[in-house]
Amino acid sequence: MAKILVVDDEEHIRLLYSEELRDAGYEVITADSGYKLLERIEQEKPDLVILDIKMVDYDGLDLLQDIRSRFYDLPVILSTAYDTFKEDSKSIAADYYVVKSFDLTELKKKIAMALETHLPG
Amino acid sequence: MIAVEENPQNVQQADIVVAIPTFNEASTIGRAVEIVGRGLREHYPDRSSVIINCDNHSVDGTREAFFQAPVDVPRLYLSTEPTRRGKGANLLMLMEKITALDAQAVLVLEADITNVTPVWVRLFIEPIFRGAAYVTPLYVRHKYESTLTSTLVYPMLRCLYGRRVRQPDAGDCAFRADMASTFLGAPAWSEAVEGTGIDVWMGTVALTSRAPVWQTLIGSPKRHRAKDPFAHLAARFRNVLAAMFDQMAAYADFWKRVKWSKPTALFNLDGREMDNPPLVEINAVRLHQRFVEGFQENEALWRGVLDPAAMNKLDEIRRMPYEQFTFPSQTWAAVLFDAACAYRRSAPEERLRLLDSLMPLYMGKVVSFVKRTERMSVQQAEDHVEETCAIFEEYKPYLVDRWPS
Repeated sequence: MAKILVVDDEEHIRLLYSEELRDAGYEVITADSGYKLLERIEQEKPDLVILDIKMVDYDGLDLLQDIRSRFYDLPVILSTAYDTFKEDSKSIAADYYVVKSFDLTELKKKIAMALETHLPG
Repeated sequence: MIAVEENPQNVQQADIVVAIPTFNEASTIGRAVEIVGRGLREHYPDRSSVIINCDNHSVDGTREAFFQAPVDVPRLYLSTEPTRRGKGANLLMLMEKITALDAQAVLVLEADITNVTPVWVRLFIEPIFRGAAYVTPLYVRHKYESTLTSTLVYPMLRCLYGRRVRQPDAGDCAFRADMASTFLGAPAWSEAVEGTGIDVWMGTVALTSRAPVWQTLIGSPKRHRAKDPFAHLAARFRNVLAAMFDQMAAYADFWKRVKWSKPTALFNLDGREMDNPPLVEINAVRLHQRFVEGFQENEALWRGVLDPAAMNKLDEIRRMPYEQFTFPSQTWAAVLFDAACAYRRSAPEERLRLLDSLMPLYMGKVVSFVKRTERMSVQQAEDHVEETCAIFEEYKPYLVDRWPS
């Protein structure tokens, strides 16, 4: 069972994602901020991270760079309320991005693709 | 391979090598050497370095201009035989020389970039010292600059080899010096690679070597000496496709196992010195005309090569008036995948004819791209390119199923 770490400072999003993704067969763990995120990833070894871009105390795009430089191939899906962040070049370090919605069809599709991605070696 | 070597300072070792490939660049190389030299002194004062001019036996005084540039960095000149031309031939000499220099990092920079600054040396080289094995630039580009990359090279390399390298054939790159032996031992070297296919060829070797590939944000466009972008398009198109298709045969065991794609590591993301790219204008009406004319010359060949469904779709596209013209990315992917399979099956003497026949179809795809994105911002056009890549990735099983064993 793939383990997904959801990082979002909005409780209702964490709850929504947790319930829906558990129902879809994933193990879900959550974090309400970017505090010690890299250490958490090191300890929990998630297979994929869903990362909110705009959190009260953290910029998800900066966190994404930190994740990329330490965990080169860990799949990261950016989750955001707006799609204007795509104009920030930092976003291209993400595997995928989704605009937040109560319908998680798109998110689930991107999770499946990110987990299926295979590069030899 | 190295026909002429001049090493007046007797350079035997260098941590950093900056290579400038040339053919008749006497008017530009002096400035390039000066800027690169300043970059090395400003950013890497404690590392040994050398600037190497890899030349095609220029007759315009390139060699003299190279040595006369007022820079205190050691220099070394290499040249091919007079009859041997092409950037690939230049870089092959470089690879041979690097193995003897005990170098760590290598930067290849074209001579005629008019807006290069000293910091570019750091932007390319620093990722190597931070763990990259191969570095490609992300130049700021107008949406219609390098349509060959946006509509063909990027979607194909991404779906084949699984890494999202947006400008794999930008012409400039950096690599870890030990990659030189990887390049020297890599398969599918050809006449096309010796010409303008070298950038795609090196990118593919790096992507299949399992070594870390990074992209570095330059924050500026790459401005060349003024030249007609379509002047050498036919030769470039042929060389790029030949290099790509030849490498598909050599690396089939690799790319057949690749599913979807992943981003690369990025460098200089905090760099905010964004500069506007120069406007690129495309005469889409003329390209559309070339697309339609291409049917008269190539239809019989296409019918023997393309899947009937793709051919029917092309028939449909041909009948569309310019105002409603669109060339779906699914059809474009099918055309390229079928063509790659046909190239694999063809005798060597038939291959050039096949590659040349694809040129009108490429022009049709460019027309469609221009019409679709003409009211879009650069970012929106970039999203459209990403959608095209996603379609190529989704459609890849079609290629895997048809690939001749």
